[in-house]
Amino acid sequence: MINTEGMVAETAAKIYTDLCGREVPHEAEAGSYPQALWDALAENGLPLAWVSEDSGGFGADYDEAFGAIWVSAEAASPVPFAETLVANWLLDRAGIAIPGGASSFALLVGKTASVSFASAADHVAVYNTVKSEINLYKTADVATGDGQALSPDGDSRLDFSGATPVASAATNLSRRAVEALILTVRAVQMASAIEAALNMSIAYVSDREQFGRPLSKFQAIQHQLAVAASESAAATMAATQAASALAQNADDPEKAWHEAVVAKVQIGHSVEAVTVPFHQVHGAMGYTQEYDLHHYTRRLWAWRDALGNEHHWSKLLGQELAVTSPDQIWKGVTTGAWIAS
Amino acid sequence: MQRFNFPVVQPDPALEELRAELQTFLREEREAGNFRPEPECWMASADAEFSKKMGKHGWIGLTWSSQYGGHDKSALERYIVTEEMLRAGAPVGAHWIADRQHAPMLLEHGTEEQKLDILPRIAAGECYFAIGLSEPGAGSDLANVKTKAEKVDGGWKVNGQKIWSSGAHMCHYMVAILRTSPADGRNRHVGLSQIMIDLSLPGVTIKPITDLSGDAHFNEVYFEDVIVTEDCLLGEEGGGWKQVTGELAMERSGPERFLSSYITLETALHQLQGKLGSDSHARLGKLIANLRTLRGMSWGIANLLHQGVSPETEAALVKDLGNRLENDLTLQVRALLNDLPAEEWSDEMRRILNMGILRSPPNTLRGGTTEVMRGITARQLGLR
Repeated sequence: MINTEGMVAETAAKIYTDLCGREVPHEAEAGSYPQALWDALAENGLPLAWVSEDSGGFGADYDEAFGAIWVSAEAASPVPFAETLVANWLLDRAGIAIPGGASSFALLVGKTASVSFASAADHVAVYNTVKSEINLYKTADVATGDGQALSPDGDSRLDFSGATPVASAATNLSRRAVEALILTVRAVQMASAIEAALNMSIAYVSDREQFGRPLSKFQAIQHQLAVAASESAAATMAATQAASALAQNADDPEKAWHEAVVAKVQIGHSVEAVTVPFHQVHGAMGYTQEYDLHHYTRRLWAWRDALGNEHHWSKLLGQELAVTSPDQIWKGVTTGAWIAS
Repeated sequence: MQRFNFPVVQPDPALEELRAELQTFLREEREAGNFRPEPECWMASADAEFSKKMGKHGWIGLTWSSQYGGHDKSALERYIVTEEMLRAGAPVGAHWIADRQHAPMLLEHGTEEQKLDILPRIAAGECYFAIGLSEPGAGSDLANVKTKAEKVDGGWKVNGQKIWSSGAHMCHYMVAILRTSPADGRNRHVGLSQIMIDLSLPGVTIKPITDLSGDAHFNEVYFEDVIVTEDCLLGEEGGGWKQVTGELAMERSGPERFLSSYITLETALHQLQGKLGSDSHARLGKLIANLRTLRGMSWGIANLLHQGVSPETEAALVKDLGNRLENDLTLQVRALLNDLPAEEWSDEMRRILNMGILRSPPNTLRGGTTEVMRGITARQLGLR
């Protein structure tokens, strides 16, 4: 389980309960940005949770903010809370002053990268994998590509090649360390969204009647949701395991890379196994814009592509395991120690 | 509020020392030719000599008091022992069930005399138990059992038949669920009790059943006027249903629910190291990610059980996911082995893979079918 106790997560939970009711993601998508929600998060300093106290943040443990991220994804957060946490983490570690306001992040290999909340974020913190440096851009300075976004957050393709950063700094953060954080944040969001959509599905089939009885009384429906529940539980375990690896290796996040990749692969493959039954049991209602289910399923479809899809990461993990001894693989499976110490 | 409770529990250095000891023992035993690795070893591979060796090392009866021949260790130590045995495909089938479920049952319900008599022999790897649940008319519908026990002077008289009793031909006892009084109208859960039956008693007949792989590990067991003493009724008279469902829930999340076929992968990895083509990498990566996640879930439940919490839903979820993974593992290994020309496969690889395929049908049946697991989950989700 992701720990949702503690000051950061509990404050986030209160803010989301008060200011992100079920209508808010709908309104946000219709163009009415929930500024009050963002302001409340910002006033409480939550997007600075992982920023060191010297730089004005909380210096919170990884665990604490992961609880808040769980809460935000459960509410289908229409503001870039998790994204700003990641951006600020990157900037703080590179010694770049935190710009304030909403930010997003990218891991740049070439010229372009997918960035969620590109329209809501004032800035984008970019980890340049080639130069091992972190660059801060104003979103308005970066060219946005055309294309259909999967998620209501707007996962736009941004072209950084013509833009000048407002701040830059070399970093000793390795690519794997950055990947470990990003993949784990997405894993926690996804596990939370899967469980939220599972809960919606259970409520829906208990309420909706056909053939004179609730859908929940049909064994075919029960079994579909039982399987989805097992995938949901596995997703939460994988996310928690990754979050825990980061917490254990706070000084060297690169050591959490394998557990983060395991979570990415596990949950990425789970998405299809859950979104199919969730939509199936909801019937036509489930894919209307008016209904809430798509706030989760579209985000899941977008998040499973973050930094490359589950096939890409399965391959990357497998490539490494293919030259790892069977003893070491077993050690990884049983203890999470994937590399000989 | 999260729906499922799976704590993440860090590895414990003391347990890792135990693991290293086990690995050394298993390597030496295997190199000495004392066992042949088998998939589904906890069901299909039994060797009394091997069980006795494990007993000497103190690897059976870990969880109970030394007063009864046990080793005063925790269920977590036992977990490490079981997962290492499964990884090696070791012949642990003789003592597995007694160690896993009947010893704890005796500790809870047995008389002092029974505990002193039987538990030390289980811990020594010398005394084995069979499960007495299924009958010809009672599979998933377990409450339909017809075997019955009538009160007689000083004990019980048992008549009826059990089936699919793994290892009964080499077991000393069976704990059977049977009817001690009639059902209460439609409520068939009342009137069931658990009785321990010494399989050497007059009136017990055991007939082997050969399965499609050629294994003859399970049996039909007939009881004809078998007389057992009064203290053989374990627990509450009429309370058998509750006892048995509680027991089943405890054992659904152990490593044997997702690692039974791991030896197939282990063997293949030795053959394939450095030889996998790039098309196979994704397959291997996904398989290992699934295994790591399941291990996390199963280990989390083991820790909850250790704390005295019995998470029934979580256990059912692990069994459903784990049984699917065991079968998927064998299929994925078949695909991975395409990267090695068939003439380079070792005989052992071919044997283990084929046995794994032949032994795959029971994975999603024993200990509660996948359909029963999904029914339990659905009930917990509030759908039934």
